[in-house]
Amino acid sequence: MQTSSSSRLSTGIAGLDEILKGGLLPSRSYLVRGGPGTGKSTLGLHFLIIGVANGETSLFITLEETEANIRRNAEARGFDLNGIHFLDLSPTSEFFVEVETYDIFSPAEVERMPITEKIVERVTALKPQRVFLDPMTQFRYLATDVYQYRRQVLSFLRFLVEQGATVLFTSESSAEAPDEDLQFMSDGVIELNREEQGRSVTVHKLRGSDFRPGKHSLRLTSAGIEVHPRLLPEEHVHKFTMEAISSGVPELDEMLNGGLERGTVTFVTGPSGVGKTTLGLQFMKEAAGRGERSVVYTFEEEVEVMLRRAESINIPARTMVERGTLHVMKVEPLRWSPDEFAQLVRHQVEVEKARVVMLDSVAGYRLSLRGEDLTGHLHALGKYLQNQGVVVLLIAEVADVVGDFRVTEAGISYLADNVVFMRYLEINGELRKAIGVLKKRLSDFEKTLREFEITRYGIKVGKPLTGLRGILKGIPEWVK
Amino acid sequence: MTPKKVLLTVGTNKRNLELLAEFLGKGGYRTLSVTGLDEFDRTLEETQEIGLALVDISGFDVGIWERCARLREKHIPLFIISPKHSAAIQQESVTHGARGVLVKPLVVRELIGIVSKLIEDSE
Repeated sequence: MQTSSSSRLSTGIAGLDEILKGGLLPSRSYLVRGGPGTGKSTLGLHFLIIGVANGETSLFITLEETEANIRRNAEARGFDLNGIHFLDLSPTSEFFVEVETYDIFSPAEVERMPITEKIVERVTALKPQRVFLDPMTQFRYLATDVYQYRRQVLSFLRFLVEQGATVLFTSESSAEAPDEDLQFMSDGVIELNREEQGRSVTVHKLRGSDFRPGKHSLRLTSAGIEVHPRLLPEEHVHKFTMEAISSGVPELDEMLNGGLERGTVTFVTGPSGVGKTTLGLQFMKEAAGRGERSVVYTFEEEVEVMLRRAESINIPARTMVERGTLHVMKVEPLRWSPDEFAQLVRHQVEVEKARVVMLDSVAGYRLSLRGEDLTGHLHALGKYLQNQGVVVLLIAEVADVVGDFRVTEAGISYLADNVVFMRYLEINGELRKAIGVLKKRLSDFEKTLREFEITRYGIKVGKPLTGLRGILKGIPEWVK
Repeated sequence: MTPKKVLLTVGTNKRNLELLAEFLGKGGYRTLSVTGLDEFDRTLEETQEIGLALVDISGFDVGIWERCARLREKHIPLFIISPKHSAAIQQESVTHGARGVLVKPLVVRELIGIVSKLIEDSE
C-alpha cells in the first residue's frame, strides 16, 4: 500500500525525502546505521529541527554525547536547536571517579531502571511527535542477555510510538556487536556510508512504502547534510516539440537535414584541436539568438580561455553569459559525485531552463567525477536530458590525428542518437579539416563529408567532398 | 513487616555498599555498612541486632578472615562476596564460617531471595 506524501514527515533533508518518496511515515521507528563520522547525529538534528519548524515537539535522547557537546557542535554548524528538548543520559565525568564505579551488580541491574524511569517520565510529560535516540545500541549493555535486549528495545519502541512519536534511532555496529536485530525490529533502515569514492546514503527498508533503492550521494557540509538522489530518467519525462534546431551554418544544417532534434544526444567526435567544442558553441550561439539558454560543463579547459577562444571566432560568448543565454562551468576534478553533478545539471534544466547542454568532454567526465559506474551515470544523465527535450552535445576526443577511423574511444557511442565526426585531412601536403555525419536516428542525413574551417568570422563548411577516396583514413586521394 | 535485625554489609568500595543498601532497602531490609577493619571491629562490639553479614572481600588483607571467624563466634550467618570463582576463596570462606560464596556481579533477585530466607530463619 502506498501512502501519500502529504501524510509523510520530512527528514529535514530534501534529497533524503525524495529517496523516501516524500518522507517518513509517522508513528513508526527507523534505524539510522553507519560507522563513526558518517553523519548519523547530524541527520537526527535535521529531523528534529524541521519538526520544531513545523510546530512539533521534538526530543533528543542522548546516551553517549553530552547535551552541551551536541549544542556546541550544532552551533558551530549554524544549527538552531532552540525548541528541541534534550534528555541527557550520557555518563557524567564523576562516573570515572572511584567512588562512582561499582562491580557488585551488573550495569543491567543498576542503570537500566533509572534510565527507563527517566525516559518514561520525560516522554509521558512531553508527548513528543519526534524522538531521536542516539545510540540505541547502548541498551545492549543494559540487558542481561540478547533475549532481554531484544524484548526491551521492542517494548521501548512500542512505548514511544504509542505515545504518538516518530522515532529515529542510531546504532553503532561492529563485527563483535552487529546490529542485525535492530534492522529487523525497525520499520525502516537508513544506512550512511563513508568510502573512498565519497559519502553515500542507502535506504534498505521502509515498511508500508516504496523508496528509491541504491546508493545516493551524500555531502556533509558546514550547513549539514545534503543528499543528491541518483538520477532516474523515467521520473523526469517532460513534453516537448520534437523539432530540429539549426546550427546557424546552412551547409551544416544541410548535412544534418535541418539540424539537431530536441531531446537527442549527439556525439561530436574527433582528434584534439579539430574544432569539436567550437562546433558545440556554434549551436549555442544560434540558440542564444532564439533567446534559449545553453550550458557548457568544461572538465579540462578554463572558462576564461573558452570564452576568449569563442570570441576570437565570432561567437559572442561573454555577451551570451551576461545575457544569461550561456552558462559555462568548470568542473573541478574529484569535487563532485555523479549524483551531485546530475543535480547541478537538473538545476540548470529545470530551474534555469537550459535547452542545450554540452559536456566537454566525455573523458573529462569520467576522470573528474568521483565514484563507480560512471558510464551508467552518464547514460542516466543523457536519458534524463533527452526526456527533458534538451539538445545534448557530448564531446569525445579520439587520440589519432589520422589513421583508421573510430567513432569514440569511450565505448559509449551506443548512447548517441547522432554522431558528428571531424577529421584532419592531408591534401596535397596541406593539413585540412573535414566534417561528416555518421548517424542520425530521427532523420536522413548527408552521407558525404565536407571541408570544415574555423575562421575569425566563424565556422565555414564547404561543398561536399566528392571525388576523393580514403577520407576516413585521413590521407585521401583524388579519384581519377 | 520490616525485619527487626539489621544486615551488616562490609566492603572497601563505597559505591558497592551504597548499591547493596539501595537494593536491599527496596527489599525492605535495613543495612549497616562498614568500609574498614577497625570500623568492622567497633560495629561488632556495639551492635547487637545483626541478622546477617555480607562481606565483600575485595581490597581487604587476610585480616578479613579473622573478622569472619568472629562473626561465626557470635552466631551471625555470613556470606562472602567474591570477585571471581576460586577454590581457594571458597575454602577460606567455609573455614571461617561462611554459609556460601556469592560471585560478582550479583543478581538482585537472587540476593534478595537468599537474604530473605536467612533472616526468616534467624528471626
